[in-house]
Amino acid sequence: MIKINKTKLQDAGAKYVFIVCACMSIIAVFGIIGYILYASIPAFRDIGVFNFLFGTLWNHGLEDSDKWDITQIYGILPMFVNSIIVTVMSVAIGGTIAVFTACFMVFWCPDKFHLRYAGKNKMIAKIVSWINQINLRAFFDQIIKLLAGIPSVIYGYFGLSVIVPILSSLNNGNTGLGILACSLVLAVMILPTVASLSKNALESVPQHYMEGALALGNTKAQAAFNVVLPAARSGVISALILGIGRAVGETMAVNMVSGGRALFPEGLFSYIRTLTTNIVMEMSEAGVGSTLESALFATGFVLLVLVLIINLSINLVPKEFKGKRGNKVLKGDAGAKIVFRKKGIVPEVLKYVAVACGAFIAFTLLYLIAFVLVSGIPHITWNFLFGESTLMSPTLLPSFISTGYTILIALAIALPFGVGAAIYLSEYSKPGSKVVSVIRTFIDTLAGIPSIIFGLFGYLLFATLLGGRCTLAGAFTMVLVILPTIIRSTEESLRAVPMSLREASYGLGAGKFRTIFKIVLPNAFAGIATATVLSIGRIVGESAALVYSAGMLRTTVPNALNPMNMAPTLTVFLYMCWAEPVAANPVTGAAEIGLNQAYATAVVLLVITFLLNLIVFFIEKSVKKKR
Amino acid sequence: MFSFRKKDTQTDKDVRSDRKKQNKQAGGNGLDLFDFSGDVAISVRDVDLYYGNFQALKKISMDIPKHQITAMIGPSGCGKSTLLKTLNRMNDLVEGCRVEGEIRIGDKNIYARDMDLSALRKNVGMVFQKPNPFPMSVYDNICYAPRTFGIHAKAALDEIVERSLRQAAMWDELKDRLNKSALGLSGGQQQRLCIARALAVQPEIILMDEPTSALDPISTGKIEELCLSLRDSVTIVIVTHNMQQAARIADKTAFFLLGEMVEYGDTEQIFSAPKDKRCEDYITGRFG
Repeated sequence: MIKINKTKLQDAGAKYVFIVCACMSIIAVFGIIGYILYASIPAFRDIGVFNFLFGTLWNHGLEDSDKWDITQIYGILPMFVNSIIVTVMSVAIGGTIAVFTACFMVFWCPDKFHLRYAGKNKMIAKIVSWINQINLRAFFDQIIKLLAGIPSVIYGYFGLSVIVPILSSLNNGNTGLGILACSLVLAVMILPTVASLSKNALESVPQHYMEGALALGNTKAQAAFNVVLPAARSGVISALILGIGRAVGETMAVNMVSGGRALFPEGLFSYIRTLTTNIVMEMSEAGVGSTLESALFATGFVLLVLVLIINLSINLVPKEFKGKRGNKVLKGDAGAKIVFRKKGIVPEVLKYVAVACGAFIAFTLLYLIAFVLVSGIPHITWNFLFGESTLMSPTLLPSFISTGYTILIALAIALPFGVGAAIYLSEYSKPGSKVVSVIRTFIDTLAGIPSIIFGLFGYLLFATLLGGRCTLAGAFTMVLVILPTIIRSTEESLRAVPMSLREASYGLGAGKFRTIFKIVLPNAFAGIATATVLSIGRIVGESAALVYSAGMLRTTVPNALNPMNMAPTLTVFLYMCWAEPVAANPVTGAAEIGLNQAYATAVVLLVITFLLNLIVFFIEKSVKKKR
Repeated sequence: MFSFRKKDTQTDKDVRSDRKKQNKQAGGNGLDLFDFSGDVAISVRDVDLYYGNFQALKKISMDIPKHQITAMIGPSGCGKSTLLKTLNRMNDLVEGCRVEGEIRIGDKNIYARDMDLSALRKNVGMVFQKPNPFPMSVYDNICYAPRTFGIHAKAALDEIVERSLRQAAMWDELKDRLNKSALGLSGGQQQRLCIARALAVQPEIILMDEPTSALDPISTGKIEELCLSLRDSVTIVIVTHNMQQAARIADKTAFFLLGEMVEYGDTEQIFSAPKDKRCEDYITGRFG
């Protein structure tokens, strides 16, 4: 009788399962590129690649007119230019503030407030002592994370209700929508990405650079801006590039404050349309198989290529200073006057700029939260949250159901694949392996793809397969969106499990499979839990990837209970309050109702975001305590 | 009713608040507030140093002579590096560090509230245990400090670079690679470059914190030679683990144990006829 060694079989089989998981992201990237290119071929064929890329007129609806030739009415050059301008402006504003904020957090953020209260009121004294106990550094970390977690649609509303009116008053009372509004909203949105990555880069600069500069007579500000910041250059540039990628791909918030005119901009208050908003604005009007639909996919393809180029260019940033080119020939002058003077007012000024930027971020977030809460809380009623939903007076109940479905289904699929991929990367890969670096590049690429592209892909593949847009198609789409987060977070925690634990397990005769499942995974539980919570946050906040995969339709509870039907998630519902306001009550005015519902929904979303952040905070804290 | 209280230990505050005053005192540039005409470069009087509740230095008093090499030796944790760091106030960076007593450099109390740290550290340079050239070219490393002290003319910078490299005996090695990254140099070269970098602003005193402990014997020899050649123009205070090194290069040697200065005198005397039993035990290798 042949005896099959069970352990060996398990080990050999498991490896291939994990490799397949790891290859998911490669398949996903190629699938997305391939499908979208395939769907845009009719447009490229009918319109012509040159006419499409360099045409300056976009005007659908003229297809049937005798005056217009179809090759002349689908040109995306203005939108391409608008995307670039908005991105450059937002990164110039938001990127600068973010880098300065990172400097503030690393160099000058005090540990605690040092407020003193001399009066006798016990309440105030208590509040002051309570404020003094806040750990400011941790507080700023949380602010950045919270800003990153807030759904982009809420930023859109913030732009509409706060930024646009301010701009409008600057524009002599004319509208404040347009290119400047888009840039400012985007600037706030890329802040957290750029700030947290720049902070990591600054923190990884060895402490001895700072010490060396101080020992040469520098002030802290001089050392920070002349030595440490330049030493962190590659990390900061990478952070800015990621910010650029994020800004190019952002859809919903931009759509809400852009104005939507597909022409070249004429001034700071020109209505504009970008590549992303073009897709989201017109897709609902495009007939299946029409040239318009294909032209929109082609717009998505151009956007995808643009973002891929931007994100891949991170690899071109030199990691460390390699020296300058050429030889330096000194032309010293023995008689040159060498008089050392005290100088360096500039870094001292920059220090205050950094502090101001930190304060600005804190203020922005607190203002945004306060604004949403004040506008929304009065309109939260039991009936609006959990009442019966009708088409005329929709409630959030169907959205709770569909959000829950999306989370459960997406996690049920993405978690096994993501954890499997992470296991492969951390347990089976050899250091410096080519395969792993390729897989990693694809994971990063997948993470950088704008969510509107995922939406297009979900529409093309899942909605078609399932016979129409539905919650299930949306959930499948979200699998791809959250996969990179899960892989990265899990892999990080797997790598943090000490090697000695694995060795101990092998030493007792356990196989690789057993070691991974009995020793490594349980010890990495916190990381997987964090990944899960982060993914939930991503799903709750997502809108662009869902509107054309899960669809936008107000629905009732019985319909929402079947995941094969269309039902908006909370964030999509929030977006619909702007995109398709309910015209139900002619007495009180339709638009007002839409806005009230919107802010009530936004409050719910904020609370969820806040709770999820809190959970991550406590998981991380408990992990730190253990170590 | 409310007021913000800032911590007193942080460095920038003093620099900022008294810049104007300093400028007046020193005839404009605010840097030359020290008077090094006497024979004593550094005078330490009754210095106690605490890290929180732990007392790391106990009643240290010593005079460090000008243009000589003074070595500080003793087992790990004896306080010799701590004392070195108090001499240019690098210990200000350590949280909870408190200094009592008086340290006079160039006839100025460096722990006075109005002491300008930039001016102090410009005059009292420092070389660290681990070479720490900045991630810049060799040329920019040396120009770094002169630039922060207001020198931007090319001819002047070129002059400073050549002079500093010659002083550090590296000119021939490095004159053709001034544009190369300083991180590409060997460990020994990096450390000598750090010395050249400190020399660029013409300090009166250079503090060296175990400068050769991370280096091979040949590089160590070069740095010792360099110290000897610099003796005519700068005062050097060197902390070392290596007793032979102290014996080879130092004019004066101080022996520390558990935060106390046990013995301080001419190197020859310390190594040949130590007065204190503990010092003798250490030097003869009975502990440490």
